[in-house]
Amino acid sequence: MSDFVLELDHVSIAAPGADGPLMLVEDCTLQVTAGESLGLVGESGSGKTLSARAVAGLLPEEFTVGGTIRIDGEDISTVPGKRLRGIRARRLGMVFQTPRAHLNPLRSIGDFMTEALVTVAGEKPDAAERRAIELLAEVGIPDPDRRMRQRPGDLSGGLLQRVMIAATLAMDPPILLADEITTALDVTTQEEVMAVIADLRRHRDLAMLFITHDLALAGAVCDRIAVMQHGRTVETLRAATMRQDAVEPYTRRLLSATLPADVRADSTPPVEPVLVVDGLRKTFQVRSPRGGREEFVAVDGVGFRLAPGGSLGIVGESGSGKSTTARIICGLEAADAGSVTVKGEDWTTAARGTAGRRRRARIAQMVFQDPYQSLDRRQTVRACLREAVAVHRPKASRGELDARVDELLGAVRLDAGLADRKPRSLSGGQRQRVAIARALAADPEILVLDEAVSALDVTTQVEILTLLDSIRRTMGVALLMISHDLTVVRRLCDHVVVMRSGVIVEQGTIADVLDDPRADYTRMLLDSIPHDGWVPRRRIPARTTALPTVATTTTRISPPGGPK
Amino acid sequence: MNTRVLRQLLGKLGGLLLTLFLASVLIFSAMLLTPGDPVFTIAGSVRPTPEMIAAIQEQYHLDQPVWVQYLSWIGGVFSGDLGTSFVYKTPVAELIAPRIGITALLVLYTLVLIVVFGLGSGILAATRGRAVDRTVLVTTSFGMALPTFVVAILLIWIFGRVLGWFPVYGAGSGLLDNLYHLTLPAISLAVLYIAYISRITRGAIVGQQHAEHVETALVRGIPRSRIFRRHVFLNASPQILSVSGATVAGLFAVSAIAEQAFGIGGLGSLLTEAAARKDVPVVQVISLLLVTVFVVLNAVVDVVIAVIDPDSTKPRSLA
Amino acid sequence: MSVAQLAGGRVPRLARRASARDPLVIAAALVMLLIAVIAVFGPLMAPYDPNQLYVGPVLSPPSLEHYMGTDDLGRDIYSRVLVGAAPSVIAPVFVVILSTALGAAIGISSAWFGGVVDGISSRVIEVIFAIPGLVLAVLAVSMFGKGLIAPIAALSIAYIPIVSRLVRTAARAELGKPYIAALRIQGVSSLAICFRHLVPAVLPPILAQSTVGFGYAMLDLAAISFLGLGAQPPSSDWGVMISAGQPALLTGAPEQSMFPAALVVVTVLAVNILGARVTTWAEGGDR
Repeated sequence: MSDFVLELDHVSIAAPGADGPLMLVEDCTLQVTAGESLGLVGESGSGKTLSARAVAGLLPEEFTVGGTIRIDGEDISTVPGKRLRGIRARRLGMVFQTPRAHLNPLRSIGDFMTEALVTVAGEKPDAAERRAIELLAEVGIPDPDRRMRQRPGDLSGGLLQRVMIAATLAMDPPILLADEITTALDVTTQEEVMAVIADLRRHRDLAMLFITHDLALAGAVCDRIAVMQHGRTVETLRAATMRQDAVEPYTRRLLSATLPADVRADSTPPVEPVLVVDGLRKTFQVRSPRGGREEFVAVDGVGFRLAPGGSLGIVGESGSGKSTTARIICGLEAADAGSVTVKGEDWTTAARGTAGRRRRARIAQMVFQDPYQSLDRRQTVRACLREAVAVHRPKASRGELDARVDELLGAVRLDAGLADRKPRSLSGGQRQRVAIARALAADPEILVLDEAVSALDVTTQVEILTLLDSIRRTMGVALLMISHDLTVVRRLCDHVVVMRSGVIVEQGTIADVLDDPRADYTRMLLDSIPHDGWVPRRRIPARTTALPTVATTTTRISPPGGPK
Repeated sequence: MNTRVLRQLLGKLGGLLLTLFLASVLIFSAMLLTPGDPVFTIAGSVRPTPEMIAAIQEQYHLDQPVWVQYLSWIGGVFSGDLGTSFVYKTPVAELIAPRIGITALLVLYTLVLIVVFGLGSGILAATRGRAVDRTVLVTTSFGMALPTFVVAILLIWIFGRVLGWFPVYGAGSGLLDNLYHLTLPAISLAVLYIAYISRITRGAIVGQQHAEHVETALVRGIPRSRIFRRHVFLNASPQILSVSGATVAGLFAVSAIAEQAFGIGGLGSLLTEAAARKDVPVVQVISLLLVTVFVVLNAVVDVVIAVIDPDSTKPRSLA
Repeated sequence: MSVAQLAGGRVPRLARRASARDPLVIAAALVMLLIAVIAVFGPLMAPYDPNQLYVGPVLSPPSLEHYMGTDDLGRDIYSRVLVGAAPSVIAPVFVVILSTALGAAIGISSAWFGGVVDGISSRVIEVIFAIPGLVLAVLAVSMFGKGLIAPIAALSIAYIPIVSRLVRTAARAELGKPYIAALRIQGVSSLAICFRHLVPAVLPPILAQSTVGFGYAMLDLAAISFLGLGAQPPSSDWGVMISAGQPALLTGAPEQSMFPAALVVVTVLAVNILGARVTTWAEGGDR
């Protein structure tokens, strides 16, 4: 009996392809010992999620799994279906990326929590309910009785994720499979959830396979790290010494992407700003949960300046109003109060007519977050860029248009050979370059980037940010970067504005704000970012009940047929 | 169900009532848009004298302004006076009263067949593996190409002429005899709907089988049968219900075809005859009746869905 | 999660069972082609005058002189079926074209303008939807008399809601995508956005619905003719033939009803198969 609680031995996963099987995972090899936390890190397409799903038995029937998967030393391919289901139910807990999708919207939280206890462990409904409430308290959910009766729609993403974690604990599994569990959460909520997990692991001696694309996060919360690329485990490292021990070039690239970039020198002399936002206010009419209408203040009294050729980052979590501000500047939303002045001209009200929009287009352009939907999938790259160029050069000949298109492709370092492809055959990074090229077609002076790199892999992010920086230096375009990710802003921007709930909390140069923050919120944001030596801390004051340790858990779940 | 859901539901029902009202106006205006003067249709083959014309106009309110005519018509509907047939010169209410029962029975019979075989085959297709799924797929493909009148003549040929197992004409008398007579007509109506509902059901269930919340339940080891009942089927039911509701509501109208083919004296055959003879009042009343049934059925479906999934009444959030 | 989601974007094509070279789809397409040919050239292909009475014995079974036998008035069924293809097949085409054109226009306007325009058209659509197509057709016949014109007009109106709702949903989804916002910021004219980007995006579901809708229209019109309210004798519209052949069924001569019925079924079956294929193609666009 090995002391590996989970082992993947040269696991491969193939999907049926149009011309023969498609290898999605070629060789995944890792081991998790009891009580240890192994981080499985990789970018999209690395195969990390698929490998975890193979362990949990969640791959479609058509997929073939090669190699060996061992749970508690037992090769699961030799275990008959029914017993395997039992093993998975009792030995594995799995938590997914989007808790809202993974909970039945029609059933209450209480139903969800007690279901496994009643049907699998044979508990009586009252006992199951009591245990469920205990578990909810353990993960720090306030007022657990009330929550039991609510439905998923009534809870926030962070709370739902904790509910999912609580549910996996019901069977006291020795290993937790965590698939990108904090990726969809704000960074402060992420810290909360990771703190809960850290507590749980300590008290329950829980092993964990922690899947993430965030190497810094894994490095901070895991004991060891396995790096995957293109379906292979490339390297396995001890987290504490990963920077020194890493040998593989891919791992080193990932590591360098997590480092803060050099702090930029503040050398801008005072110049007439190209964009001035003053006292901006925007409210939305939304339906309140109780029916009827409610006013939601998205942006309240926001003001800042952008120097020509400068780079300003607007940072905030979800609901901070940063995106709304960007949309108002570009004319996609109308402000209720305040002013937007661009090059001395008042842009507060929307441009009138196509001619008006065209004029403004030559000054400010926008790049969006989703690279897949930012381009018309029916157009080739060339057609898309040609259209953008032709708007401002109506009398140009075909040849002149194409020349400009080639120029733009060069500016974003995109191979001209890709010009005749459609977006579907381009990678996320390439599509985003096309989006940038399209924005540059109008020769703008301001480029607004609305979470433009958030949907990209970390290594691609670095490439695009480097590209944007060079565009700024060579073309003198001012950059306005909206992001929830401070690391990104740090890489690209001179100045930063921190927003929260529609208000500016702090603003200044990068050096000032990020190295010596004055506002509590900024400090909290900075502390929540995983870095070397980071320990997640719970910020919500302690729960009313103390954390139970394994020894004092009163309802011990015994599987029917006697303890294992 | 909390007050928000209740309020939204009432809002929806109010909307349905408005739709019903507007539909009634539309149906009523059919009379006005008919080319030619209805006086002559009423008079029939006799060339009317001026006294006759005046009498007809007074009797049928044809000399009143339009909105008064509408109000007296609608008022009549509520008070039981459904107008007078142009052709038979008898109150419409008397014409339709004896026929409602038999049409209702036919529709109910058909409904039972649709639910049992449509829903049933859809569930089987989704849960019993590839072979069953393909079989149902092929069968429903055929079924969707078999309209009522085709199935009717097929059944008449096979069961009427060749085998002689079922009667092929009329509705019989007495409940059991009615059911015996209505079997072939009900089948002829049901085939197309069974195929359609089967597909919808299968699609909705398969859609839920791949849902992420089902994955969660699977990993936790919850027994398959329970997952099917409380996660797959429950979550698929709003979709199945809403589509089925809309489809079945049209059943009442389509029953006219079966009634024609099998010589059943129901509402549908009256509708057909009346249309053929341009007996507008009769057509109007029956149309209004069918539309009301449609709206009521949809309202019922909306309420049931709201009970199952209160969040469905939540409107889409403003972007 | 779906197979495609799991394989994650990198995969260009997974094994699909429905490919363009599916023999069933090809067969269906050929059948449709044949039906179309018959609809156009039927009169030329008919060996006998379809309206000529007593060209053969009454209600005779299929033979070498009369491939499908003769009907109750001694007319050659084969010739009547060939000539009847035109009204049976062309009338639904009109319904589809009219309802699609109007429905798409309403759907796109609703999505584009939103607000009051959307509100009013949605209500109008709902009212039309509340009246079953058959009822609308019967109403139309009671107003304008028997024949195919009234039912065609009525069904065209009755089918509008299905198309407009579909188009509205698709158009709204497309308009919500960031590339539309990007085009606006670029300064591209609204007209260009609508016709160069929105309409091509919305076309696949429209085509899919048109194909499927043709089948429904054909069935509905044949049913109306069967009821005696649509095409009228001596027309050999298939619905009329099926109805006229009903008495002969019970006396042992099913040909008059069965052959046109078989043709209706075969045509609709072919349309459904093609429709399913077009729908799969239309849905396979994203990513």
